[in-house]
Amino acid sequence: MTVWQTKWAPTPRELAACVECGLCLPHCPTFRLTGDETASPRGRLNAMSAVAAGTLPLDSAFAEVMEFCLQCRACEAACPSLVRFGRVMEGARAEVAAAFPREGRLGRRVAGHWLESPRAVGVATFGAALAQRIGGRHWFPRRLRVGLTGLRRLPLRRRSIRGRDVGAGSDPVATVGLLAGCVMDPWFAAVHEETIGVLVSAGYRVVVPDDQTCCGALAAHDGAADDAARLAATNVQAFAGVDLVVANAAGCSAHLAGYGHVVEAGTELASRAIDATVLVARAIGAGRLPQLPSNGRRAAIQDPCHLRHAQRVVDEPRSILRAAGFEVVEIDPDGLCCGAAGTYSVVRPDTSFELGERKAAQVRAAAVDLVASANPGCEIQLRAHLGSGVRVAHPIEIYAEALHSARDHDLAGSG
Amino acid sequence: MPAAANLVEDLRRALGAEGVRAEPLDQRLFSKDAGVTRGEVVAVTFPRNAVQVSQVVLIAARHGYPIVARGAGTGLAGGAVPSQPAVLIVTTRMDDVVVDEANRTAWVGPGVINLDLSRRTASLGLHFAPDPSSQAACTLGGNVACNSGGPHCLAEGSTVNHVLAVEFVDARGQILTVGGTAPDPAGLDVRSVVVGSEGTLGVVTRILVKLTPNPPAVKTMLLAFSKVSDAAATVSEVIASGIVPAALEMMDQPMVRAVENFVHADLPVAAAAVLLAEVNGHVAAVDAEADVIISVGRRHGATEVRLAADERERLLMWKARKSAFGAIAQIAPDYYLHDTVIPRNRLVEALEEIYAIARRKDLLVMNVIHAGDGNLHPQLVFDGSVPGQLEIVKSAAVEIVEMSIRLGGTLSGEHGIGLEKRDLMSLVFSAVDLDAQARLREAFDQDHRFNPGTVLPAGSRCFDFGRSVAEGAWV
Repeated sequence: MTVWQTKWAPTPRELAACVECGLCLPHCPTFRLTGDETASPRGRLNAMSAVAAGTLPLDSAFAEVMEFCLQCRACEAACPSLVRFGRVMEGARAEVAAAFPREGRLGRRVAGHWLESPRAVGVATFGAALAQRIGGRHWFPRRLRVGLTGLRRLPLRRRSIRGRDVGAGSDPVATVGLLAGCVMDPWFAAVHEETIGVLVSAGYRVVVPDDQTCCGALAAHDGAADDAARLAATNVQAFAGVDLVVANAAGCSAHLAGYGHVVEAGTELASRAIDATVLVARAIGAGRLPQLPSNGRRAAIQDPCHLRHAQRVVDEPRSILRAAGFEVVEIDPDGLCCGAAGTYSVVRPDTSFELGERKAAQVRAAAVDLVASANPGCEIQLRAHLGSGVRVAHPIEIYAEALHSARDHDLAGSG
Repeated sequence: MPAAANLVEDLRRALGAEGVRAEPLDQRLFSKDAGVTRGEVVAVTFPRNAVQVSQVVLIAARHGYPIVARGAGTGLAGGAVPSQPAVLIVTTRMDDVVVDEANRTAWVGPGVINLDLSRRTASLGLHFAPDPSSQAACTLGGNVACNSGGPHCLAEGSTVNHVLAVEFVDARGQILTVGGTAPDPAGLDVRSVVVGSEGTLGVVTRILVKLTPNPPAVKTMLLAFSKVSDAAATVSEVIASGIVPAALEMMDQPMVRAVENFVHADLPVAAAAVLLAEVNGHVAAVDAEADVIISVGRRHGATEVRLAADERERLLMWKARKSAFGAIAQIAPDYYLHDTVIPRNRLVEALEEIYAIARRKDLLVMNVIHAGDGNLHPQLVFDGSVPGQLEIVKSAAVEIVEMSIRLGGTLSGEHGIGLEKRDLMSLVFSAVDLDAQARLREAFDQDHRFNPGTVLPAGSRCFDFGRSVAEGAWV
């Protein structure tokens, strides 16, 4: 007789994969902050095992231990026993949601339903855009303020890249389907435009299927597993016809790569999923995109956890920055989470803030005026904690800008 | 068991609410380290300094509870596992580092992670030499408690050789400092008694460590052999040639295969045994010593010799070695990582016996070995959910210890005695030896307040006053 209620629960096999060696502990941001076993990956897995065995109840103390986790998956990259911590934690969060349907309901509602609706996101975007213009940030609760501070300037009118189909003309290398995403589309329009431009320059046909939806990562992380499965199923359909499924937000590309755990038909899509930085870096390596000469400037790299830890993508964003002419400055040898972590910054503003300040201090110590980050959450967090002196941008955006100015320079030179 | 309410109240008054935890979930998650024994925890405390540790010691004593210190919980012998319901002192929040660059020393808190210290001093060209395989996670307090070694203790010596002074809290709550900056402190050398005492004399709150200059040159190489005996013969001959390599490690085939799945270092998975050798020092010496090791290896039939081309490859080789003990869950859910010592020249015999013991008990065994100093780490891989398996594994472990001692070796190389080998102590110590150790311990902790039931077996004292010792602790 098990206490678990959902089909997403951690399986005995998944839990048995942990041998409790403790090598994950120093890689865990919450363990680093607290020194507390119950805030460590090993502790969390042990808590799940104890609940599964009936030794501990599935109570609010258990929920607290699960919800303190950032789900950054740094432990996963450190684990010699190859525990799939991200998947197991999503299962545990689904169980917590089932056991405590009232707590955290709003967050799950947002992640599981609102984000898939361009209209709902559009209303929120409009509100935030207004606040940016009339300076009403202080009306918002503190937990939302950091996010608002870190946003790019939002447009008042909604626009979208959905339905786009470019680069079909000249015998494309492959057709890539670009994930528009829930907030990437209205909040990071420039990143999308530059991604499309760079991919087309690299010889790809880029389509943005109209019937796609939010990838479902936030829903899965917050315990809305059934919603995540529904969203994934929609995307499996929407992206059926393309060679590669590309996302330029690390949280999304990591989740697409894990679709096999989310929905039955997801394994096939996962095999075609790829982060945009990987695709662009490959194109640069293959000579389909140019390597620009050094511009003598330095740029720091911030590794989104779901790129570095979840997908083990480390070299690619760096090689993109170098190809854009920058000297790459490392800021954090461990790639400790910046504290953004999806909805974490809203749900647990204090822990998120502490981690954000740590990351900002590392950037300041590097004395750069540009930081590259390939994930929207991290970008917002970095900008909020760094203030206006340091620019934060997506690596592909930085590369695209370098391409434009090289082109302008050429035109000016030949003209 | 629910914590006594007023114990927790008193602790909270001393440490604040965030310094004490005592919910069933906390008690459960802190009741075990990386080994196979589980104990019982009443309350978990997170003091930030020696004064707070002293307060916890006095409060626990007033309420009649023993005290067990714990760092990151990476120990394998149960040294941080209470043998009876206890108050836990977790040292992770005592993590200050104050480096004295001119003297190449540092005062560090017991909660500092071993590798963090070396990383923090890297820009000064210094490191902390003891490097247990869990160094990325284990704490210096635990290293002091267990007198930890690691691959590089072959040339550099173990923790006791790198600790100059220790501040600790004794059973009366007094804060003592033993040792000092001088290499040979005046008076009785209590510092060397505290190092390796496995938390039975007091709780260490600060450590003065010696920092070692990073060597100007390092060469690291892998040698693959189609027979374990060829690898073992290479080890013996390298040492006999007069070279003391910085490290000389061996892994057998099942181990190499498990590790390769994690590190993807293109390890020679077809080899019966792989040696990992490292030499360091001045460039010319390093080149010459590497040549000797390689030619000895080739003479003994090495099928492949791979020299790390750059720092990245070197670190990958070490990552392979140092993740060995965690990498086995791909094969079975539980492991029992053993720690014994044999004379280096009897490695082949010892391995054959280990394989035979495993065969007899129908267990899978994988070996990582600090070959240079004969420190064996057989890992018995099993599924603890199968009834009776753990007992079979434990009986195999006892046979391995007995074999090691028969070959002229000893109980433990570096993990400590803990609860794990307490009852095997009489295999190597006489009643008089044990009595001396018990009396030494009681000079600091007369009531066995600290880690009772650990290290010394019941009846160690010739005049034993029937103290409660570990019910349910195994072996």
